[in-house]
Amino acid sequence: MRPFDYYQPESFDEAFKLLTMPDKVVMPLAGSTDLIPMVRDERWSPDIVVDIKELPGLRDIKPVAGGPGCGVCEGECLYVGAAVRMSEIARSPLVNRHWGVLAQAAGAVGHEQVRNRATLGGNMGTASPAGDTLSALLVLEAEVLIQGAGGERCIPVTKFFLGPRKTALRPGEIIVAVLLPPLPEGSAGSYERLSRRRGADLALVGVSALAVPYAGGYQWRLALCAVAPTPIRVPEAEAVLSAGHDAVSLEQAAQLALAASHPIDDVRATAAYRREMVVRLTRRALQHVVEQLEH
Amino acid sequence: MLHEITFNVNGEPYTVAVKSQHTLLDVLREKLGITSPKRGCENGECGACTVLLDGKPVNSCMVLAVEAAGHEIETVEGLARDGELHPLQKAFIEHNAVQCGFCTPGVLMSAKGLLDENPHPNVDEIKHALAGNLCRCTGYVRIVDAVLDVAGNGQ
Ligand SMILES: Cc1cc2nc3c(=O)[nH]c(=O)nc-3n(C[C@H](O)[C@H](O)[C@H](O)COP(=O)(O)OP(=O)(O)OC[C@H]3O[C@@H](n4cnc5c(N)ncnc54)[C@H](O)[C@@H]3O)c2cc1C
Ligand code: FES
Ligand code: FES
Repeated sequence: MRPFDYYQPESFDEAFKLLTMPDKVVMPLAGSTDLIPMVRDERWSPDIVVDIKELPGLRDIKPVAGGPGCGVCEGECLYVGAAVRMSEIARSPLVNRHWGVLAQAAGAVGHEQVRNRATLGGNMGTASPAGDTLSALLVLEAEVLIQGAGGERCIPVTKFFLGPRKTALRPGEIIVAVLLPPLPEGSAGSYERLSRRRGADLALVGVSALAVPYAGGYQWRLALCAVAPTPIRVPEAEAVLSAGHDAVSLEQAAQLALAASHPIDDVRATAAYRREMVVRLTRRALQHVVEQLEH
Repeated sequence: MLHEITFNVNGEPYTVAVKSQHTLLDVLREKLGITSPKRGCENGECGACTVLLDGKPVNSCMVLAVEAAGHEIETVEGLARDGELHPLQKAFIEHNAVQCGFCTPGVLMSAKGLLDENPHPNVDEIKHALAGNLCRCTGYVRIVDAVLDVAGNGQ
């Protein structure tokens, strides 16, 4: 592997000094499951990697009252540190309490060895359109807590993903955590995905669906990954479902999900196959949510 | 950049000088002569390099050696105790779950990671835990049977 220098700063100040070193390619490192293969393939060439996973607060999962500084969450948010591992998210009783769709998505990443290393912040930092946790973060309307040498900011996840491997992070900034706004009792979610090899391949299509009790009915949210340059919400389908989730609406929503998808041909699948799978996986995800609502 | 790191492998402390870009797999095999973790794909796909890091299965080809500083590593070399094979090793022999053997150390460590956390897994839990370990020889059936046997769920 091409040589680089590794640092593990103990404080944010020290981390930001390293992350803003002039004339150097500096990259944060968490679980290294994307970074090491990329460096080995000579697609990324960092001069310096800064291991951020032991920074204070990055491995915490905890309820917080209101978002620190963001003011979005009125009730109790769930704070999930950027360096929390997928296996921890998948098994976390706190995440599973109301935000289970994220636990399901984290549990779908790679295989056990990968999940024991891969982090939420790394999945977001890589910003692959196929990243499994991204559509779940969209339906949960997560806020992204970001910190840099200039201070802290919090942005909605809808403004975070800008394109394949492109995020709203400015040079030297890192993701500290995501904040999951509270959901009322009786909410139900589901993540469905398809890949070529179960356990070690990116999603060909991923679908997150969530129904939230609202004004005597439900407000629905639907998001897709791997079918556009970024993960997307499908507001047209959400509107149909929120008006009533009978069989006809479910089918209409699946077709609207298809209309919103613009997948590409690549080594994993053809665009045509992906389009077919958008319909099927959307149906399945919606059906799973309906089953939970009826229980 | 050179780092002097200390970590435990199978309960024994080791202090070694490693470069930033060295993986844990590189250092176990080339510096410590611990060769049960195999170099397969070096890409996280095959699981032949699986070791336990603080009790959890990880691909050692995707961990920097310097990240292991201060942590506990377990490999197949540490499984046998006082000349007595580990129950998983015995079961793999009894069930003929080994053919060429290249995948076996990684499979054993994934299985150990599972049993340490969940001593009585069912077939689905075993398959789920071993999904990151490719075997080109056995067809997996005998591997799953061997683990089931140790889990006390064999037929
Ligand atoms: C065999 C295999 C299977 C995989 N399967 C899947 C899969 O099924 N689904 C899936 O979504 N992904 C999969 N991946 C990709 C990868 O595991 C995930 O994207 C993972 O979440 C990356 O996290 P990490 O902590 O390992 O990231 P790292 O490799 O440490 O970092 C990834 C990128 O994010 C940046 N970064 C890391 N943390 C932060 C932070 N806090 N703030 C800002 N930037 C940061 C890094 O600089 C780097 O650019 C797989 C990878 C492998 C090797
Ligand atoms: S060599 Fe590490 S997973 Fe294949
Ligand atoms: S025994 Fe040959 S690869 Fe598994």
